[in-house]
Amino acid sequence: MGIGKDLLDVPFGDMIFSMANAIANSQRKLDAASLRTLKTLAGTKFDFIPEVTEVLSPKPLDPITVGGSTITPTGVDVKVFPSPPIKLTLLQAGLVPQFYQFTESIIEVKISLSSKLDISHSSEVDIGLEIDTKVEAGGGLLSFFGGPSGSVSTSFSSHVNIKNSVTYSYSAEGSSLLRTTLKPVPPPVRFMPRFITINALVSPPTVNTSE
Amino acid sequence: MGLQTYIITQIGEYSLDSSRELQLFVRRLGGYILMVTRTGPIILIDDSQAHALAGHPLVGFMGPVTLNPRGVAADILQRIFAENLSKQLEVEMSGDAKPAP
Repeated sequence: MGIGKDLLDVPFGDMIFSMANAIANSQRKLDAASLRTLKTLAGTKFDFIPEVTEVLSPKPLDPITVGGSTITPTGVDVKVFPSPPIKLTLLQAGLVPQFYQFTESIIEVKISLSSKLDISHSSEVDIGLEIDTKVEAGGGLLSFFGGPSGSVSTSFSSHVNIKNSVTYSYSAEGSSLLRTTLKPVPPPVRFMPRFITINALVSPPTVNTSE
Repeated sequence: MGLQTYIITQIGEYSLDSSRELQLFVRRLGGYILMVTRTGPIILIDDSQAHALAGHPLVGFMGPVTLNPRGVAADILQRIFAENLSKQLEVEMSGDAKPAP
């Protein structure tokens, strides 16, 4: 098993595809949520009172005597005339949905591979020679002629120890990091309606277009 | 990302009681009510609490919004938001109400 082969086995293609796929799906859902917010804002109306007119008029108070002289304090009467409310959507008023965008994505893969091969060989030879001589007196034909009788035995022993060991160790550790950055962005131009305001209060009327 | 402005659409018929219940839940989560509409409130809440809020049975939809300063009544909205926020902060500072951390 080669380390190069292991590195090649890391599924970079699959990881990149999975991440890109997840980002695309998330982006689509975020955009869908922002569009839903846009619809909500466009459908939520509130009473907008564009002008409140305050009329200040004198309202003399009861005369008071200070130091022997009579003073009539000038009071003020305030009358408030709000203009008739107009229905305005929150979108018209200036509330816009927040859009988000994945701006940067990083895939980081760390892999640590190690392999170790230990070969050891040892042999041990032990040779032993043993001669065993045994003489016995009397008996047999030789003993008939007066010679001794006996037997000789020889034993030979040896042992050989051979030890071979091959140790192969292999370890692989890996970690991957997927990081993406989500940032709020201005609403896409195509998503947002244009507001065209024609002010007929002035002459000639003015036209104001806001994005 | 910290504090974020959201619009909430309320499930079911709007009523003072249901709106109040939702507003109290927002406050319990540490959020603030910027404005109340019949659709639902516009609130300011920490992003980390948004998920918990979205799970409330009265919340139908919750979407992040931002104020476009060039809007027709952006300054009015901003003033309304600021006034409502300051009232809640005053109550919070006086110790009458404490939002969740």
